[in-house]
Amino acid sequence: MTPQTGNSPEQDQRFARTPMKTYSLMELVRGVSPMVEKGPDDTIFSFPMVALLELILLIGTTLVLVIFSLLRDAPLEELANPDVVTNPAKAPWYFMGLQELLLHMHPLLAGIIFPGLVILFLIILPYIDVDKSDAGRWFGTARGPKWVFFTTLYTVVMQTALIIFDEEVGLRGLGAASPLILQVIGPLLFGVLLFGLPALFVRRYHPTRREWMLVLFTIILASAVVLTISGFLFRGPGMHLYAPWNMPGGYNPWSSL
Amino acid sequence: MSSFIQSVTQSRVWKSFFRHGWPDDELNRSLIMTTNIFFHLHPVKVSRRSLKATYSFGLGIIATILFLILTVTGTLIMFYYVPSTESAYQNIVHLQTRVPYGQLMRNMHRWAAHAMVLVVVLHMARVFYTGAYKPPREFNWIVGVVLLVLTLGASFTGYLLPWDQLSFWAITVGTNIAGYAPLIGDDLRFILLGGVEVGQNALTRFYALHIMVIPLALAGLVSLHIWRVRKDGGLAAQQAAEEPLRFEQEDA
Ligand code: HEM
Repeated sequence: MTPQTGNSPEQDQRFARTPMKTYSLMELVRGVSPMVEKGPDDTIFSFPMVALLELILLIGTTLVLVIFSLLRDAPLEELANPDVVTNPAKAPWYFMGLQELLLHMHPLLAGIIFPGLVILFLIILPYIDVDKSDAGRWFGTARGPKWVFFTTLYTVVMQTALIIFDEEVGLRGLGAASPLILQVIGPLLFGVLLFGLPALFVRRYHPTRREWMLVLFTIILASAVVLTISGFLFRGPGMHLYAPWNMPGGYNPWSSL
Repeated sequence: MSSFIQSVTQSRVWKSFFRHGWPDDELNRSLIMTTNIFFHLHPVKVSRRSLKATYSFGLGIIATILFLILTVTGTLIMFYYVPSTESAYQNIVHLQTRVPYGQLMRNMHRWAAHAMVLVVVLHMARVFYTGAYKPPREFNWIVGVVLLVLTLGASFTGYLLPWDQLSFWAITVGTNIAGYAPLIGDDLRFILLGGVEVGQNALTRFYALHIMVIPLALAGLVSLHIWRVRKDGGLAAQQAAEEPLRFEQEDA
């Protein structure tokens, strides 16, 4: 029997003072342990450094917000009146990309299908690009920054051109009359063009998955930014394009923030 | 003075609040992180690399801070606001002209709301371009996508509350977009507005969503999101510091 320890019998059984087993080395296996092939860990205690940084961000954000709020008042127009339609009638700025898109195509495409596809893309993205060797690194690969830069440039030019083309000429101006072509087929073709051109171009350089995602995400993000700015800043009465500083009727797009 | 401080920090009341000593050694710096509910969202130790301003730009933290500011200023505004089409607009005018610092409160609430949408989008872009959505962070990325949608929802529902021309027509235009969904579109819009057009029912629903449903969901999911950053091994910058890139390994 084990010597008297003052422990309960179960404790003595499990953590016996004099174990009856012996242990010996049976085999060497190759494997990864947490510290294999890693440099000295470059970590510091969260307290106080992280707490201090967060405090600085808290004070800084509050300060900027208070100063801005002292300088600019939130807008307040007349009492809501369902009988008097404002011209233009705009959604809040973060939905102006959608409202801009609605000007160019069938509402089902602009309001439901395209935004739905973007959300779907965001959700499945981490399951498409799973190679984690370049996680936590800005733009991933050596050519990443260049690709993102040129994709942004291309998208801004292309998207702006498409918006102006539709305003000034449009498919109608080219002789199309059927709603199916004007509202669905035409916009879909332009969409294929927008994504297809860069895809054809970068394919020759055998992109990694990360690089494919960089190009795809950048086209979507830059398009959203251009559409939002166009809708918010450049659309005036009748939702036509004007220079923001030269709107008819003294309309000021900034006053709707 | 120091004996006074000592008698306070040695007292049973103090010790029942804080279960560790002054955080100036490694043990107590660990304990302060693990025994405090706010700090517990953080890891005990972080890599230097993940603290570099040019890695995260602090955008997630700033989004969290803006959410907190919105909660405080929003609560103050609630003291003066009744969500009725009869009084809402007058309440806002009253808040701006009669309540001390009322205009400032409203300004801060509005600008912080816009800023939060902007900052959350920028945060998503930073997470994307640093490849921080990759395993094991897939789930946290998806939590983020839900947070983005909730942030937009919070801002949109708040937009109606002043009940001026701007609110009325923006919500009319915005909810029309929901109406375009095939089959369920009209029903969706009807459920959102509690009717076929923007009126008292819409104001009631948007108010309930804006002050209760969405903030609660946000508070819960933001906590989950930040805690999950810790459970996934800190920011992804950490990983990059530990695991050399594939081509660097090949070079070696
Ligand atoms: C209410 C909105 C949000 C809040 C308050 C928030 C908060 C945070 C915080 C505090 C961090 C820690 C690092 C940092 O500050 O950057 C973080 C990291 C992260 N966030 Fe968010 N976030 C929000 C929205 C999003 C969105 C929209 C996404 C993506 C769709 C996202 C995905 C992530 C991921 C994957 C990480 C880990 C990043 C890394 O390991 O480098 N978050 N978030």
